[in-house]
Amino acid sequence: MELPSRWVFLLFLFLSSTKAFGSEVDKEEFQEELLLKPLPDRKVLAHFHFETRAPPCNSNGRHHHHLFPKSISQMVEKFRVKEMELSFTQGRWNYERWGGFDTMSSNNAKPPGVELWAVFDVPKEQVDASWKNLTHTLSGIFCASINFLESSSMYSAPDWSFRQASGSLRYGMLPREAVCTENLTPWLKLLPCRDKAGISSLMDRPSIYTSLYYSQRLHLTSIASDLEGLNSGIALEQTLTVVLHPSSQRTGLTHFSQSYLQPSWSLSSIFGRKVNGRCVLAKSSKVYLQLERGLVSQLKKSENYGADYIASEGYDGEANFELSVNPDRVIKEENSRNGISSSLLYEFSVDKYSNSKPFDLGLTWKFPVIWSCQQAPLHASRFLMGSGNERGAIAILLKSTDLNDSSPVANSAMDGCELRVNIFQVVPWYIRVYYHSLQLFVDDQLKAVGAFVEKIHVMPSKDKISPGMMEMVLKLPCGVKSAALTLDFDKGFLHIDEYPPDANQGFDIPSAAIGFPDFHTSMLFPSNESERKSPMLSKFQESSPVLLYTEVLLVPLTTPDFSMPYNVITITCTVFALYFGSLLNVLRQRVGEKEKLKSKAAAKTGRLSDLLSRLSAKLRGRSQEPMQSPSESSPLINSKLALKVLLMAALAVAWQYYFG
Amino acid sequence: MGFKAYSLFSFKMSIFLLLFIDIATAYSSHSSSADTTKHTNNWAVLVCTSRFWFNYRHMANTLSLYRTVKRLGIPDERIILMLADDMACNARNKYPAQVFNNENHRLNLYGDNVEVDYRGYEVTVENFLRVLTGRHETAVPRSKRLLSDEGSHILLYMTGHGGDEFLKFQDSEELQSHDLADAVKQMKEKRRFKELLIMVDTCQAATLFNQLHSPGVLAIGSSMKGENSYSHHLDSDVGVSVVDRFTFYTLAFFERLNMYANASLSSLFTSYDPKTMMSTAYYRTDLYQRRLDEVPVTNFFGSVMETIHTDSSYRAAPRKMSNRAGISMAVEISAQHDDRRTLIDLDVQDPTSHIKTKDQNCPFTRTMNTFFEKVERIEHPDSLVNYGLILMLPLLMVSVWLSS
Repeated sequence: MELPSRWVFLLFLFLSSTKAFGSEVDKEEFQEELLLKPLPDRKVLAHFHFETRAPPCNSNGRHHHHLFPKSISQMVEKFRVKEMELSFTQGRWNYERWGGFDTMSSNNAKPPGVELWAVFDVPKEQVDASWKNLTHTLSGIFCASINFLESSSMYSAPDWSFRQASGSLRYGMLPREAVCTENLTPWLKLLPCRDKAGISSLMDRPSIYTSLYYSQRLHLTSIASDLEGLNSGIALEQTLTVVLHPSSQRTGLTHFSQSYLQPSWSLSSIFGRKVNGRCVLAKSSKVYLQLERGLVSQLKKSENYGADYIASEGYDGEANFELSVNPDRVIKEENSRNGISSSLLYEFSVDKYSNSKPFDLGLTWKFPVIWSCQQAPLHASRFLMGSGNERGAIAILLKSTDLNDSSPVANSAMDGCELRVNIFQVVPWYIRVYYHSLQLFVDDQLKAVGAFVEKIHVMPSKDKISPGMMEMVLKLPCGVKSAALTLDFDKGFLHIDEYPPDANQGFDIPSAAIGFPDFHTSMLFPSNESERKSPMLSKFQESSPVLLYTEVLLVPLTTPDFSMPYNVITITCTVFALYFGSLLNVLRQRVGEKEKLKSKAAAKTGRLSDLLSRLSAKLRGRSQEPMQSPSESSPLINSKLALKVLLMAALAVAWQYYFG
Repeated sequence: MGFKAYSLFSFKMSIFLLLFIDIATAYSSHSSSADTTKHTNNWAVLVCTSRFWFNYRHMANTLSLYRTVKRLGIPDERIILMLADDMACNARNKYPAQVFNNENHRLNLYGDNVEVDYRGYEVTVENFLRVLTGRHETAVPRSKRLLSDEGSHILLYMTGHGGDEFLKFQDSEELQSHDLADAVKQMKEKRRFKELLIMVDTCQAATLFNQLHSPGVLAIGSSMKGENSYSHHLDSDVGVSVVDRFTFYTLAFFERLNMYANASLSSLFTSYDPKTMMSTAYYRTDLYQRRLDEVPVTNFFGSVMETIHTDSSYRAAPRKMSNRAGISMAVEISAQHDDRRTLIDLDVQDPTSHIKTKDQNCPFTRTMNTFFEKVERIEHPDSLVNYGLILMLPLLMVSVWLSS
């Protein structure tokens, strides 16, 4: 009786599992890409992009993943994360030299340390609890102290300046968090091939951590398929952006001095490794080499080639540089605007390479090229003013990069045009900012704040409870040369337990985010690329507002002398000991008795021996006298005791006698 | 017939069970509860308590031990690694993402697979004690918890700057020997370990063990009271000392071993030479029941599990295993009765042994002793006498009243 039912059950299990497999296997996908880009200041940018997608499934909440990391999907499910981004960054993105007006900088230039923001799909009163649990989970997954963001004095809830998210957004930064191998390893473990195969095998730790800028980012979006949000698909985007300094290789050409020539590089020279074929689990595995607009126009100029040449002929016709591997495809950006040349993308597919024939892309420059990157409309920097340990001021300076009128025109270019600037700044509570002291200088002249501020939202800090937050939209005239904001602050005191062990180093104010909502960056690629769309290129096609981060500020706070309590205790104890010791000595010593004893001793022994003993006592530093006193006092006490006992006995006898 | 056979079988079974229970109770009366559980898993808590670049060697010490225990089979999820500062990606490090414990730079300790559980400001005395005692907030992830049980052997390695009965954490806090002893006691009561090996590389490390009194604890320190622990050598490329002497010689011992080596703890202990170490390694073995020359080092520094192959179905396995356990326990007990092997002259007298000798005296002298002790402790004999006199008055009155 038991047997058939078991078989039926097994059959049912088998059927259900195959059904589940059939619906999921072909949908869950992973793609790996690498973008390489020469930078104007002789550096090379490498941007790894991994994307894993898990589609919504209907197995009533019980997910079975093949490629998608289970830890991430469980986390998203448990804390109902709608969207989240976590970045670990070391170094600072150089906006002037590496570009401030492209998708790369506005998406991948991050503030130093750890930045985390998350949007939750829970009722508003539960958002804080979810955030706290999320920070702990992430700190466990990524081996970092992200759990410090759980305390309410470390995170904030921006309303509109950072991102539109109606109250369920939380944002936190740890500017001093160290970023090292132990953060990269768990990040790589989320990839189906880890760093064992495919493009990620290029990540040689010593070479990527020698980079000038290192930013590792994890962005996830959950796509709710039904109203309850139970069965949601997740898109996980992992990017690693490094700016490397290639050591210039010697080339045979000596037409130009080496110092003008851009350094030539190859994958093996900058990473120390080659790509031994693709990750077999990846749907596609591609490497791109990007030549940005400025570079392409320079190349055109120097070679006197027509625009149609590059478009038709494709790659490498020029004598300016040489690629060691022939690209599979050349993608030209479609540019709606005339007069500006468009960037080029050389595409290489890693599929056909293997262990015996590794992929090693090399770029050799033959003639010197000098070009510059596109800049954001305004360059932002932030600094401290004032001196002393009591007060100071924070200044944000926005300077126009529009020097030779070559910067792109705003989308909203119109008569009497205005440049809108979003400023979002979080300041820890121990920097007590006086928001009423906000001053605005436009073109070095003090202006009324109300005339330029379109919208402002300020949350003053509460001591040990919440940080101060300022969100602001500035409306500046288009031709503005510079604008400066200053805010005065007082430095607060921390409790002695709250100082970190290296308090003498100073305290960090996290970066401010400066956004330009009217400017969007996007690259347009020919529409026929859409069928074999790569996630990275589609990311580039998305229009994203230009965003930049300012410097982290280092504020020295008054640090107490931590050894002070110890010093006070020791000094007080010494004083007390001296005082009470001498007092007791005076009170306890009986001068008369001592004299008597001395005379007795003198009488007993002869004068000679007395002198001898005195001499020896002086030599020993008077060790004899204190030795004598206790021995004398003890029989005294004993006699007293005996007296008392006797008295008591007599009393008792008398009592007995009279009343008995 | 069937019934009869069944009853016979059950009879046999019951006899066997009775015998088994008898044996088990006999054992339990002899040995503590920790001995009845088998060693099932290994954990390691490795702590570097020093911040700042010039303490590079402490991080290198900890990472060397981390590498060793990983090589000998303890998986990453059973290692709690606490590093108080970031040395590998420190701006002063000439070799980013690399940490070396030797001048020859042959071995990059930081490797590609380091999992640091507590780092930077998280390495505090509070967190350390929380890890040991397992009293965390609910949100703390599993990777940051010591999820050991009563069958666990735990290696606790600590390095940093210390002194007489304390160890500094990040130059701002101290872990005192009392704190450590309390934490260990809590762990014992919560059955979080079967055996615990505490290894400390710091100045005057031996003093940190003074307050320990939980059974099953074995302690090794790099130096005695009043001695310093020194670094081994300086790497002029890195610019600082890269390893401490005690750890260096510990590693030298382990580098010769693999997972299946049978080196015993006593061979590790005797490998320390006070001349080359410039300090005397100290071992506290009085709380530990087993003979050190019978305990392989992999019991703590590795995770080597004995697998018992059973041909029969799994139903018979528990009985067989328990029998085996009983036999091995018998060996342990006989080992206990033997004279303990003295590895080194223990200068420090432990208070527990004194109490034990007192316990062996007859009850009368014991009470008298305690009485005398109490009498000795009284500070003001005069006042006592006075109180006594006052107390005698009512007694007298009562006696008079009764007699009249």
